[in-house]
Amino acid sequence: MNTTQTCEQKSFTLPIGPVHVALEEPMYFRLELDGERVRHVDITSGHVHRGMEALAAKRNFFQNVVLTERVCSLCSNSHPLTYCMAVETLTGIKVPPRAQYLRVMAEEIKRIASNLFNVGIMAHVIGYKSLFMHVMEVRELMQDIKEYIFGNRMDLAANCIGGVKYDMDEELREYADKNLEQVAMHLREIIDIYRHDPMIRARTQGVGVLPVLEAERLGLVGPVARGSGIRLDVRRDAPYAAYADLDFQVITESGGDVHARAMVRLREAGEGIGIVRQILRKLPEGERSAPLQHVPAGEAVARSEAPRGELFYYLRSDGSDVPLRLKWRVPSYMNWEALPVMMKDCAVADVTLIVNSIDPCVSCTER
Amino acid sequence: MQESGVYITLAGWAIFHLLVFPGGLFALGIGLFLKGADRKLEARLQRRVGPPLYQPFLDLIKLSGKEAMIPASAQRLLFRIAPLLGFTGMAVCAALLPVPGVYAGLPDMGDMLVYFYLLPLPAVALILAGSSSSSPFGALGFSREMTVMFAYEIPLLLVILAVALHVGGGRGAEFSLGRIVEHQLEHGQLGFNWELIPAFLAYLFFLPGTMGVPPFDIPEAETEIIEGPLLEYSGAALAFFQMAGAIKTVVVLGFGVALFFPGTLPGGPLVNILWFLGKCLALMFLTMTLVKAATGRFRVDQAFAFYLRYPTALAAVSLILVLARL
Repeated sequence: MNTTQTCEQKSFTLPIGPVHVALEEPMYFRLELDGERVRHVDITSGHVHRGMEALAAKRNFFQNVVLTERVCSLCSNSHPLTYCMAVETLTGIKVPPRAQYLRVMAEEIKRIASNLFNVGIMAHVIGYKSLFMHVMEVRELMQDIKEYIFGNRMDLAANCIGGVKYDMDEELREYADKNLEQVAMHLREIIDIYRHDPMIRARTQGVGVLPVLEAERLGLVGPVARGSGIRLDVRRDAPYAAYADLDFQVITESGGDVHARAMVRLREAGEGIGIVRQILRKLPEGERSAPLQHVPAGEAVARSEAPRGELFYYLRSDGSDVPLRLKWRVPSYMNWEALPVMMKDCAVADVTLIVNSIDPCVSCTER
Repeated sequence: MQESGVYITLAGWAIFHLLVFPGGLFALGIGLFLKGADRKLEARLQRRVGPPLYQPFLDLIKLSGKEAMIPASAQRLLFRIAPLLGFTGMAVCAALLPVPGVYAGLPDMGDMLVYFYLLPLPAVALILAGSSSSSPFGALGFSREMTVMFAYEIPLLLVILAVALHVGGGRGAEFSLGRIVEHQLEHGQLGFNWELIPAFLAYLFFLPGTMGVPPFDIPEAETEIIEGPLLEYSGAALAFFQMAGAIKTVVVLGFGVALFFPGTLPGGPLVNILWFLGKCLALMFLTMTLVKAATGRFRVDQAFAFYLRYPTALAAVSLILVLARL
């Protein structure tokens, strides 16, 4: 490939990835360029395939709680939660109310941190280092909460089959409340910056537009779909854990561009703070987990709203202590199908920005 | 016989100016110090600790000991020459730079038009580097650098013309940087002259563009085209790019000081060198560190439109005001 004369050539190929500064995980984009315009995108993936579904069929039901927590770091609470829900459906275990609330709390704390991380990286991608530092500093408050309550910064180890492994007392409640107060204050400021800053708007508005019809055709989920104005949220449509008792909004934006998706994530972080505060106020007393039971032969499904969208688990058991098949479908699997649509005729400068805007979780998708 | 002695002395001074003061060692030292200060100040603005002030010196020492790799498919000669071209261009510029109260520039050589031609050399070096490296990222960086360069050179030319015509005062244009400084020391600094304030503002806009700091770090955008033309460089060759960058910081800041604020302080040369350094630092903080900390990166079309709009208009206003008074 002779690229020294690329300026005169009609089109040339630009590789983005598998290792690239703006990508947190390996993905390979082969771009056909016409000057600074992208004409065609080829996506190759599979660099971090670890054979985890096969591994899950070799471990018993309890070991798989630990295994699914390690599918990926940013959704590391959604995976074991959904897996446990599938096992509980199959065995008919009734999870006590206190555990249901605590599950939602762990889920929302992870969601707030994950969404802040993504919009922070977006600022980094457009070269806005100060804003990146600012957002990451606020996310650090969430990390403190995780560390204080769960003892870990990423893998919370909150879930077990039949309930949760952690508990809240008065001291933890006060600490979480105090930190969330600060996060809420900073978040208002950050939302204001993202909504009004001329540089952010110049780089993100009208970039990577995903029309509603395309989003529906591709079956998109999570903040990507909600950024295009589709009201789709498992927490509202098929409430699980304690979501039915909690008060929150399904956030949508109508822009369908990179800016709209970032705004959805930021406002969802705000809703998340509201949910955690409700839980801190009205956490019911009682058991943290139900007694274990034998897992019968049969199959079950469970789904939840991970930070990136709908997460789906399928479980089949033959009555032994090892699942016959454990299969999961992650939101990024649908969402990255939207990348070629969003990147149609965009500028090279916007490619990494658009990739970041679907918040791809590669290690979930390729497991 | 005596005449040749004079020439030898002159040549000796020229070499001294090129290698020691104000070019060469002096400019490099100050440039690296400014770069260190820039990183430290930016870090403090972002509530980080930041690297020590002497970090750029350490980086250079480390780079000089590393192997310089050349891609197999690169145009070897051009690839090697490119960093030297930028570096020598800036070293010459620095040798011609007047340090008010200390050094008046080389007689009849420190011409603003020379600067106009020499200042883009590091950018040209980047363009050569990008086109010779055979990397598609280099090629993209190369086309971006061309676009941005055209955009910020236009206001610079207008600024130079406005200043030259003002100092010339009806007798034609005065392009000698030494005499422009002298004129200001007698008649007051141009930065306080209302006709030339728009030109000064235009020059402030020119600075982040030519230094390639955000929002104009488009040719080297790390998160888009991973440093573009510099991607394939390593070792001593990369060190030359960094040294060229460090000297260029001094040159463009010092050029601004000479054009608009060359005032001196009573006291010896040492006081005036520190005064010069202080002015450079203030100018850098205003136009690079603060701007970098408060913005993201433009797309290349946005940067182009920006330069053709605001700085060009400001410089043109100054030029028209100067012309109207003549």
